[in-house]
Amino acid sequence: MKKLIAMLLVLTMVLALAACGGSKTAETQAPAAEAPAETQAPAASAADGEKVTVTMIAAQYGPKTGDWWTEFEKKFEAANDGIDLVVDCVSWNDIYTVVNTRIANGQAPDLLNIDVFADFQADGLLLPAEEWCSAETYAKFYQAFLDQSEIDGTIWAVPDLASARAMYYNKDILDAAGVEVPTTWEELTAACEAIQAYDPDIYPWGIDMTTDEGQAAFAYYTWGNGGGFVDDNDEWALNSAENVAAVEYAVGLVKAGLTNSDPATNTRYDLQDLFCAGKLAMMIAPNALSSQAGEAGVNYGFAAIPNNSGTSVSAGVMDRIMCFDNGQTAEQMAAITAVVDAFYDDEPYAEWVLMEGFLPATSAGGEACAAADPAMGAWIDIVGSAKFYPTAKAEWADVKQGVIDVEQQALLGGNVQELLDALQAEIAG
Amino acid sequence: MKRKKPYTLLNKVEPYLWILPSIILMAIFIIVPIGFVFRMAFSQVTKAGLVKGFCGFDNFSKVLKSAKFGLVLKNTIIWTILVVGLSTVLGFILALLLNNEFKGRKIARAIVVFPWATTLVIQASVWKFIIDTDYGALNTLLKTLGIIERNVNWTPAPEAFFAWEIACGIFVTIPFVCFTALSGLQSIDASYYEAATVDGANYWQKLGHITLPLVKPSLTVATVLNIIYVFNSFPIVWTITKGDPASRTDTLVTYLYKLAFYNGKQGEAAAVSVIGFLILLVCASIYMVSTLKKGDE
Repeated sequence: MKKLIAMLLVLTMVLALAACGGSKTAETQAPAAEAPAETQAPAASAADGEKVTVTMIAAQYGPKTGDWWTEFEKKFEAANDGIDLVVDCVSWNDIYTVVNTRIANGQAPDLLNIDVFADFQADGLLLPAEEWCSAETYAKFYQAFLDQSEIDGTIWAVPDLASARAMYYNKDILDAAGVEVPTTWEELTAACEAIQAYDPDIYPWGIDMTTDEGQAAFAYYTWGNGGGFVDDNDEWALNSAENVAAVEYAVGLVKAGLTNSDPATNTRYDLQDLFCAGKLAMMIAPNALSSQAGEAGVNYGFAAIPNNSGTSVSAGVMDRIMCFDNGQTAEQMAAITAVVDAFYDDEPYAEWVLMEGFLPATSAGGEACAAADPAMGAWIDIVGSAKFYPTAKAEWADVKQGVIDVEQQALLGGNVQELLDALQAEIAG
Repeated sequence: MKRKKPYTLLNKVEPYLWILPSIILMAIFIIVPIGFVFRMAFSQVTKAGLVKGFCGFDNFSKVLKSAKFGLVLKNTIIWTILVVGLSTVLGFILALLLNNEFKGRKIARAIVVFPWATTLVIQASVWKFIIDTDYGALNTLLKTLGIIERNVNWTPAPEAFFAWEIACGIFVTIPFVCFTALSGLQSIDASYYEAATVDGANYWQKLGHITLPLVKPSLTVATVLNIIYVFNSFPIVWTITKGDPASRTDTLVTYLYKLAFYNGKQGEAAAVSVIGFLILLVCASIYMVSTLKKGDE
């Protein structure tokens, strides 16, 4: 009898485990790092009563992003009775893993806010922007920004915000060292030497060649020397003479001891901390550094990035919102359009952009931001003339990692020409 | 005489029923994910993560042909041997010390657990902070003590970074070895030592002829588990250097993470993962078989 009871218990346990196992499998297949389980339901089947569900993954730009989206969800749902908006705010560290895992499991969100789009478009996962973005909202974007998301004549994503880079400098250090704000490479080298002579404990110039953002350094110096990632025909031109000279110049500054001690592991955030602590005299950074440096009490200024070609080019970085083709119904498409319209509504949009410390992607947002914060005006002009990474090209991920590797190998003594030749051969075939 | 148990179907099935829950759990949490990785390694996977069908050994040949793979494999082997080897030696010595009777032994044992009980990411961040050139605790301490005047760059070369990472790895691995060895030491009967003392054996003879042979099974288990943990360890290298500069501090795991999520080559990343799995399988099997065989003899 005892044995029979024991056997029954075992069987019950096995069945219970098997039942648990079913749901566990689903979870392990979609380990969306920070996404709550209920948000993993695909939009098409996630009807909550009669409500239409719109799922979205949003990038977490700062500590307040999550709260802002929660508030947005509440306000939006209050104003749109029939729509259930579910926004997952995911940190930049996890977002690529989360998105790829969800796509691989057929659980792509309806809307995604991220930086890249070309890989999703290449797999036929996206819907053209004009199918889900109302004409009114579409007309608000700066055309130059929209063009960054064009493949084969179609715009596949809309910009959500942008940031541009400029050279920040510590006025007090430059004055004490008796140097003017440099505008050319020659002046930059001379200024660095003067600052080093004034105080050897201060790093004159900040360079970030890390896995985090080494491609930005490549952009600053190659664009400033008339080179760049692509040529006039939009073909990869990584090993141009201008690029070789540009990387050699940047690495030369490091070798001469005029920069932070370890550009291969000092990220831009490390450099910004050094700048705010008064230990770094000059660095290239986005406008977000203004508030950080202001709070730290640094007497700072910003100017165009020094160049060697006579034309200063700012590096622009732009993120996007895109819509996945999940076989949505007309009703769901209307709900998605409503969400996008609400997000880009001038007032809340400007509030969001200002809160995140970035630059707006719409003209109305630009005017609202400039009115709210006069210092923004100069930045909005800078971003208007900025160059962007060629993220619409399918090889971009490889190029990005490739140029970072070239920089790091050059720091270790590699030959820049040979390294860039090898990269060009690998990318362009 | 006791009657022999009747041979029934129930008797035959019973043991399997008892182990069934474990088998189901293992299948779900171990075998299924491994199966997915193998499928991915032999599939063409797009950058967005879609599996587009079987591609044979394409991913493997791309990985093996890449210039980086040899360097990364070499790093991984150095990393595993040094971390496992040194932490085993140091952990064993610490266990010998903690096995002695002394005042505050319980507190000392508790302190040894700390590095083990703390998250690896936090440990690695703390080490990164200690050796930082500009704000590092080490430089601040040495400056306060008047030993140095200006900040010293403790990581002037990739090799130096790697050495610090190995040191951090050893630091967090010692407690596990120490406690496994300690449990082995405590199970040794004191009468062996008494008999050896009567026979006139010195400390080293007792260590070599009694302690080591009897602790060996515990150390074997600890070493095999450590080889697997350390080989697959991600947080230390990722937090301190992300494998930079130019993959000089990458191990297979950080390399495959970058391949998958920075380069969008998930098929190749899965291939690296399979290669790592096979290496571990072979190493752990050889080690287990040889040591257990010797033990039986």
